[in-house]
Amino acid sequence: MGENAQTRWSMDGRVGTIVIDNPPMNVLSDVNRRGILAALDEFRAAGARAVVLTGHGDRAFCGGADLKEEERLTPDIVDDFQRRGAEVNRALRHFEPPVIAAINGWTMGGGLVLALWCDIRIGSTRAKLGAVGVKVGLMASNVQLARLVPEGRARDMLLTGRALEAEEALRVGLLSAVVAPEALMAEAAAWARMIADRPADAVARAKRALNAALEPALETAP
Amino acid sequence: MLEITDISGATVAALSGACAGDDLERALACDVRLAADSASFSGESLSDGAAIRLARLLGEARAKDIVLTGRRFEAREALRLGVVTRVVEAARLADEARATVALIASRPPLAVRAVKEAVERSRDLTPGEALALEHERFRRLLDTADHREAVDAFFAKRRPAFEGR
Repeated sequence: MGENAQTRWSMDGRVGTIVIDNPPMNVLSDVNRRGILAALDEFRAAGARAVVLTGHGDRAFCGGADLKEEERLTPDIVDDFQRRGAEVNRALRHFEPPVIAAINGWTMGGGLVLALWCDIRIGSTRAKLGAVGVKVGLMASNVQLARLVPEGRARDMLLTGRALEAEEALRVGLLSAVVAPEALMAEAAAWARMIADRPADAVARAKRALNAALEPALETAP
Repeated sequence: MLEITDISGATVAALSGACAGDDLERALACDVRLAADSASFSGESLSDGAAIRLARLLGEARAKDIVLTGRRFEAREALRLGVVTRVVEAARLADEARATVALIASRPPLAVRAVKEAVERSRDLTPGEALALEHERFRRLLDTADHREAVDAFFAKRRPAFEGR
């Protein structure tokens, strides 16, 4: 259906799939951010009823920010990236059909943020989720993480920076299911089809109601 | 029994034996709680402060279960409820607590403090305000010497040395 240099997207029936393809760790580039926004626009126009977001290969879902990029960052570029990052998060949150993150491997920093803004997360046994910002002197994902899991767990993850293996992520509710790596995309597609078969307006209403209940003022966020 | 360890403002509670009342309340005030597999917990006669803290830490449904029934529960259930985030064999508890303290202490202090402060302040902010705060802190941390040290150490494949600036 579409692609840019580091992102691919396609539709099968009424299910759209977006693949972050920026090897080896699928670090989140601005090219990816633009790709995700373009894909969601095309899915909306094509009448998608559910979306799967995943990373290429079996090593990483999304490795977060590219540390190599940092030397070139000026304050203006950082502002720009943050603005576009927030735009992607909002787009995932307010895209009418649910978005399922298929977590195929490392999910760190900005990659965790991306996964947390999806509606549902399922993982393979290779999934590893870490709020690693603190390891490099930064802080990210604390707002969304503290809303998705109880604050005590959020503090553990955010202050230690340790990565959760798939089983622990399942236990704490960050993942809804864990399957073998080779079964992940079929499992994600099955979840997406289950949602796509529901009445679309009921699904959209439920998602809107949850968004509104949990974050009334989010539309005004940066 | 409760032991609290404080590192640059972050606190870790190591829980063994019976944990109830004031002990439980103090443990709930910590950032991270670990328990021995032999520890037990009771929600009996908790103060209002502990009840509020439980609701924030576990969510409303689980907090009400504990506070309104005042029932006793074991370490495994405490883990499932989220009262603690890790359970280990009693003999390993002290080591696990020390390792957790060492892990947090090895992180850049400014980032640790920023996370703690943001989590605490975010509770009383709208989501939009909380995100704005997170972005503003991110920008400030990006300019710290410790962040540059972390990036340099990453590419040089060496252990970073953080100085809290």
